[in-house]
Amino acid sequence: MRSILVRVSALGVIAAVLVAACGGGGGSTTASPSAAASATAAAKPKFELASYQYSIQTKGKLRVGTREDNIPFGLKNPATGKFEGFDVDVVREFAIAIFGAEAKADPDKFIEFVPVVSATRIPTLKDNKADMVAATFTVNDERLKEIDFSTVYFRTGQKILVKKDNTTIKSVADLKDKTVCTAKGSTSEKNVAAKNKDAKLLLLDSYPPCLIALQQGQADAVSTDETILFGLVKQDPNTKIVGDYFSDEPYGIGVAKGRVQFVPFLNKVIADMIADGRWTALYKKHITPVSGDIKDGPHDKGRPSS
Amino acid sequence: MGILGEFPDLFLTGLWLTVQLSILGSIGALVVGTVIALFRVSPIPPLRWLGVAYVEFFRNTPLLVHLFFLWLGLGALGFRFWTTDTFGTIFRAAAVGMALYHGAYVAEVIRGGLLGIDKGQIEAARSLGLSFVQTLRYVQLPQTFRATVPPLGNIGIALIKNTSLASTIGVAELLQAADIVESRTFRSDEAYGAVLLLYLVLTIPASLGVNWLERKMLIAR
Repeated sequence: MRSILVRVSALGVIAAVLVAACGGGGGSTTASPSAAASATAAAKPKFELASYQYSIQTKGKLRVGTREDNIPFGLKNPATGKFEGFDVDVVREFAIAIFGAEAKADPDKFIEFVPVVSATRIPTLKDNKADMVAATFTVNDERLKEIDFSTVYFRTGQKILVKKDNTTIKSVADLKDKTVCTAKGSTSEKNVAAKNKDAKLLLLDSYPPCLIALQQGQADAVSTDETILFGLVKQDPNTKIVGDYFSDEPYGIGVAKGRVQFVPFLNKVIADMIADGRWTALYKKHITPVSGDIKDGPHDKGRPSS
Repeated sequence: MGILGEFPDLFLTGLWLTVQLSILGSIGALVVGTVIALFRVSPIPPLRWLGVAYVEFFRNTPLLVHLFFLWLGLGALGFRFWTTDTFGTIFRAAAVGMALYHGAYVAEVIRGGLLGIDKGQIEAARSLGLSFVQTLRYVQLPQTFRATVPPLGNIGIALIKNTSLASTIGVAELLQAADIVESRTFRSDEAYGAVLLLYLVLTIPASLGVNWLERKMLIAR
């Protein structure tokens, strides 16, 4: 009985492969229809042959653009060489969803991390150097013209970081004639310029030099998404975050345009993560230590409170 | 190149900062380079050693690191280049970095020029009663500058191009203008293409100027 079932299901897999291959307009049919092949296929999630997640599964690696210096979202631990952070753990869930049970033990075996900075995120996708970019990537209309985004998996807003003893800067209006440091190629620069055109913007490549400039008193404030500021406060407890959100920053997973069925697939994984509590666990692990609060999903709490 | 017309302020202020940085850096490099070259040919051994150390230090370390050291490194020691304005500090750090770094190359070129002058001329000058300094001032240096116009021109053009590194420490020069325009429009091809052309607008006249100077010096000889 059991062996018949296996045989029938194996036949079914072969038939499905053949049908899908014909339908897909000549996909690869080189996979030998042996029992071994169907056994590994059973261990892995099945996708339609035309789908982008199927091609990733076949290649055996998910290439992900991540930041290396962005606590608590994407960080390459200098001691272990391993990637850590909220974004990185979300990516590991994608790897498990694509590669199945085998990836659960060690998802990193199936992930190739491609380092990105703010300004290289879109080029990395357009040049097909990565299958997705998970790097505190704010979804906006201008970017949607260039690439596709998943649903929002994290929501925050822009705030201001100052030295702990600073009493003059309390909101974005106080940034008049003040030197505000932020990263090039990010939405932060545009947001500050839009909210206070008298702020003097110091634009650097990333946030660590901004923090040094703040510590030395060469910048009066650093401004970017609150979650990135959390990481800076963790690095230098002599700083504090002030003011209300003055922007809405919904983070999505960036994907190049034309990836068949890939975005709906990512959306399903994100929805499942939120529904079954994995999302909250990640929030508690990475964000709660710096923010002190607990959330159960990317609600609209990051919207401007004004 | 319509993008130039869409963001004229950004590109123009960027161009102006690049020009300022290039001119100040070149003058500084020429002064530093001449002094170091004189150290290297001086009859006093400690000065010669100092000259060698300077050239080897700046020639064998990256300009980008010098820029960060001059801005944030010295900043940590409380040094702000005699200004309280952050952008002033950054600009001065960048200009000083350009001068110090390229000064090492200038020094080598000028030293080569000084050594290229026939020993007989120096001996003649000294036997006519000119001091070491007078010999330098009236016999060696004028000929040296003439002979070194082409290689100095090369260094000047390299300096114009290297000012783009100042964008990393926050100088809003041409490359940073392109970065900002790119992040607003995502038209990276146009933004960086426009800036490439603007660099040519600076470097090609500089090349022609060097060629002209070279011809003029030849006639004078």
